[in-house]
Amino acid sequence: MAITLSTIFITGLELTGPQRLMLMWPLCLAIAVVYKTVRCEKLTEIVSASLILWVTIIFVMYAIGIALWAVFELLV
Amino acid sequence: MANSSEATFSLRGPLAGFFSWVLPGLGHLFIGERARGIVLLVTIVGTFWSGVAIGGVRNTVDPKERKLWFMAQMCAGSNAIGAVMLNQRLEKSSTPRGPYLSSEIAVHFTGVAGLLNILVILDAIGRAEPVTAAPRSRQRSTTNGP
Repeated sequence: MAITLSTIFITGLELTGPQRLMLMWPLCLAIAVVYKTVRCEKLTEIVSASLILWVTIIFVMYAIGIALWAVFELLV
Repeated sequence: MANSSEATFSLRGPLAGFFSWVLPGLGHLFIGERARGIVLLVTIVGTFWSGVAIGGVRNTVDPKERKLWFMAQMCAGSNAIGAVMLNQRLEKSSTPRGPYLSSEIAVHFTGVAGLLNILVILDAIGRAEPVTAAPRSRQRSTTNGP
């Protein structure tokens, strides 16, 4: 356990392509939480507002990705 | 003419900004926004160190090879300084670098954490300043006329 904790910040993870895409989710969640924490005056609104923004960011980014992939497939 | 109490209050903004840079969310804690500060602290510090854990510190915080990203990372304050110190320590002990693919993701995590902290710094300054803004606006409205 101690060895794992000491090496956690030293040894990087071996990631595959899909895993890299999945890591977009927590990053987008962090962006949504910080943005809505700064914007919302009432703290009770933060949770729902962050979740809505998080889902929106992920949905739009995947939509853009799929659209670009489709364009690439059509052209090449 | 500014009196001493006004001068003390005017330091709240810059101090809150500085504290936010030192540790994300600390500026909000300083101005009394406890819950908001804790949420920001946990989110930004968590994002930064998650990034370091994904890529390994030697690949992630690299002032020589990733200068622009390093500038973004430095906005996370003490987190980035701690990561640089850890990086330099490992460099001396010639610890090998981690896998390159994960380091790209890691750099994004840490860089975005730093950039988000700019937002937090500006918010802390903005929330600290209204204390002095109210008397000034009244003063302006009386001097400038309708």
